[in-house]
Amino acid sequence: MTTESTEVGGVVKSDTPPAAPSTDTTRQVVASTIANEGAMGERILDVRNFSVDYGWGEGAVRAVDSVDVHLDRSTVLGIAGESGSGKSTLVYAITRLLRAPGVITSGEARFNLGSNEDGEHVIDLVTASEAELRSLRWSSISIVLQSALSALNPVVRVGAQFEQVLKTHRHDMSKVERRARAAELLGMVDLNEDRLDRFPHELSGGQRQRIMIALALALDPQLVIMDEPTTALDVVTQREIISELFELRSRFGFAMIFITHDLSLLTELADEIVVMYAGALVERATARELYEAPRHPYTLGLLDSFPPMHGERTELSGIPGSPPDLAHLPTGCSFHPRCPFALARCANETPPLIEIEGSGRSVACWLHVGDDGAAVPVELNRVSTSIASPSERVTEVSS
Amino acid sequence: MRLIVRRLALYALTAWVAITVNFLLPHFMPGNPIQTMIGKLTGQVTAQEINAIRLSFGGGLNQSLISQYFTYIGQLAHGNLGVSITLSAPVSSIVSTAIPWTIGLIGISTIISFFVGTVCGALLGWTRGSRLDSFIPTATFFQAIPYFFLATVMLLVFASNLHWFPVLGAYSQNLQPGWHWAFVASLLRYAELPVISIVLGSVAGWMLGMRNMMITMVAEDFVLMAIAMGLPKRKVIMAAARNAVLPSIANLSLAIGLVVSGALLVELVFNYPGVGDLLLNAVQSQDYPLIQGIFLVITLTVLGANLLADLVYLWLDPRTRTEVAQ
Repeated sequence: MTTESTEVGGVVKSDTPPAAPSTDTTRQVVASTIANEGAMGERILDVRNFSVDYGWGEGAVRAVDSVDVHLDRSTVLGIAGESGSGKSTLVYAITRLLRAPGVITSGEARFNLGSNEDGEHVIDLVTASEAELRSLRWSSISIVLQSALSALNPVVRVGAQFEQVLKTHRHDMSKVERRARAAELLGMVDLNEDRLDRFPHELSGGQRQRIMIALALALDPQLVIMDEPTTALDVVTQREIISELFELRSRFGFAMIFITHDLSLLTELADEIVVMYAGALVERATARELYEAPRHPYTLGLLDSFPPMHGERTELSGIPGSPPDLAHLPTGCSFHPRCPFALARCANETPPLIEIEGSGRSVACWLHVGDDGAAVPVELNRVSTSIASPSERVTEVSS
Repeated sequence: MRLIVRRLALYALTAWVAITVNFLLPHFMPGNPIQTMIGKLTGQVTAQEINAIRLSFGGGLNQSLISQYFTYIGQLAHGNLGVSITLSAPVSSIVSTAIPWTIGLIGISTIISFFVGTVCGALLGWTRGSRLDSFIPTATFFQAIPYFFLATVMLLVFASNLHWFPVLGAYSQNLQPGWHWAFVASLLRYAELPVISIVLGSVAGWMLGMRNMMITMVAEDFVLMAIAMGLPKRKVIMAAARNAVLPSIANLSLAIGLVVSGALLVELVFNYPGVGDLLLNAVQSQDYPLIQGIFLVITLTVLGANLLADLVYLWLDPRTRTEVAQ
């Protein structure tokens, strides 16, 4: 066991980010507000200039391109995008769970482990050692995957999987205490203790996903990552689990990163949402603003692809075309071939992610640059109207 | 539990079919096998031998097939497999003398090969793409060479020329067989080269099978979860290996079943006194009762090994325990 090739989180760090493809030399990075470099305060995760490639050298494909995301304690960050938009890659790379041939090529991901008398304990996940990562995995950052059937070890009883986690991280717990804790966790997700003696295949999809959530909360993590946790479930179970999840969140106050292609669902439960397209952020806004008044044509397309959870029925239109091949991205704005509002410059120049003046939200779209918004189509220029805050909406859902 | 009973019943049925086929086979042969056999033994036939032949085919051809069959079953139940024509001894005692040699040599080699191959395969699968992969072609090379050739070359080079190993047999002819240290030491010494040759010739199969399954398993979500949970690397590898080993267990059952029959070449090259050697001699001298007896033993061994593997599989993979609704 000398090599680590299948070990996750291969990192290649270079001071200068690798050159962008020659056809796309205008692609540029506008760093988000670079504030107080040291202290993170309420911020739990701060990811900057984060890029991920699949493969090395000539054949490398950029899956995540210079992304900045951040998350405060006890808040929910939603990451939306189609398949292949890089949303999962981003999160797996941040948590150093990305498998070969995925490689982090630039950026930092600072994680705030909390404060004590010595001050803040901040760790850069990108440069963290295996041992550092292992100590913070699950106890600080846990993850719930889409398919609980494949995420649970098929030949190990549910109880033993809890046991394994608790035994690894909670050395002071006795066997009886571990069992009691596992039962308590199952109780939190409305499952009977007897499920501990079952094998994963003996449970229903909803039960398995509940077990995954209970497992994720086993060590009281500060951050829980949800990678499409309800996509494989039917709508009713999906709703139940989402509302349970948010009850648990208000009880334990963990922060969440919620990855999904269902932007409609996300607007119901996230505080802030970032929308990814072809590996780059195209829009960042609060859930309310994004839902009420999308600014990027792609966001608008995503919103129109799912029926809204509340309110009037609307025509579903979807997005024409299909996600781009990351190895051969269109020049200029990656979205322009599918964009109903594309301008001439969109084909040649890549729009930077910039803040819309005075709104606190950012968008990467030429429509919102210059000309005092004169060119902005009416669909993308709506004024945000007040809707219920995420927490109120979730209460509504669960009632 | 009911599942196990059902498996046992299934195997009992299979065993019965095998025994019946074994009984019927000589009857399908053209002509009268007893006459053929007596013809082969020109001038040396004693009344006892003729009786032995008769017995081996069910106690006489004057009876109807059905009553012969029941006689045969009755004899089997008492462990009576008839009498060997060439060796003039009960088949059951001849076979039971040969079997420990074969199981001792081939069985142990197969188990060693399985463990070495599986452990190496698991590590190769985990470190896939590393320099360790260059080990694979070497292992495949030895498996690709016909075993007979490999064993002969090894015997010539390491035993005949270099004298690193004894040349022929299962133990030193100067020793009296028995459970004393000198004999056991000699036994092990004589087994070394055959064991090495068998392991060398078969380890690649186990290794590649395990490696490929391991690569598949490492890509599974539950392995990712094990890493995300911060489990020690040893436990992550075990989680993957525990699932990856299942197909190898199924293959092991087949391999163990073939231990008894597949020993022919090994025993031939190394002049080892096992079942393979016995079968070869029996076939060459057309000793039908002996052939029949050996076939029966082989069949039952294969069945026994499969049953064992089935039970182990039930224990290892909980998913196979789910009973299909009736």
